[in-house]
Amino acid sequence: MNSTMSALAEPNRLHIVELLRDGPLPVGEIAERLGLQQPQASKHLRVLSEAGLVEVHAAANRRIYKLRSKPFQELDHWLGSFRRIWEERFDRLDDYLRELQAGDEKQGESDTE
Amino acid sequence: MSIPFELVITRSFDAPRELIFNAFTQPEHLENWWVTKGFTMKIKKHDLRPGGVLHYRQESPEGHEMWVVFNYQEVVRNEKLAFITSFSDEEAHVIRAPFSEAWPLEILNTFIFTEENGKTTVTMTGAPVNPTEEELETFMTSQEMIRIGYSGIYSLLDEYLDKLK
Repeated sequence: MNSTMSALAEPNRLHIVELLRDGPLPVGEIAERLGLQQPQASKHLRVLSEAGLVEVHAAANRRIYKLRSKPFQELDHWLGSFRRIWEERFDRLDDYLRELQAGDEKQGESDTE
Repeated sequence: MSIPFELVITRSFDAPRELIFNAFTQPEHLENWWVTKGFTMKIKKHDLRPGGVLHYRQESPEGHEMWVVFNYQEVVRNEKLAFITSFSDEEAHVIRAPFSEAWPLEILNTFIFTEENGKTTVTMTGAPVNPTEEELETFMTSQEMIRIGYSGIYSLLDEYLDKLK
């Protein structure tokens, strides 16, 4: 999880991931589309690969990079659980605030009697 | 501290913000709503100030216990509250989430409370904390990332996962 996030914290690497969503690409094309030098693109791809975000296979002397879905699914799973936990927690807060305020109103009524 | 992945959740409550701030910051209130229904929460330590700690024990209906620690970062009465949450042991040492290796070790939660016409909006931002990565520094100062926006990363993820389905 943390390696996924830190790998994507660099803008060029995020752009590479955006690009690869549309399908696998060789390193030369990635560099060209993003206006990077090829060694620079290779360096970023190596970081993405070490973080498990992309995988590479060789085809006719070219290295083709593609996204791996697992880390993205893990990230989505985390974000989903986190959202659910908070929606439920806010529901409980809402109920609790109603209880508190209902108690106050009763208190107020008896005060004026 | 800025993080590449954060989640923003906004909710309106029919209550003055002072009451809501108290519900977030007073142990006798917090114990009534913070943990899932059926679980019990016992606050062992509470020191509401930046650098201070809240440490609690929660117990499931089956008797499984877990400890959680809040490290307060910002406390502005009735307006703002920020703390880092982590699972911990009995001595408040940070530990991995007992249920998942993939759960972030530390999460920064920031709450902004705004009141209008007796209703209070709470805006909660949650983000995993990973301060050891130098790259986050680069990230924080990067105008490029500001352009893309945090929510952009989430929609990127959404679109990508849709394609997989």
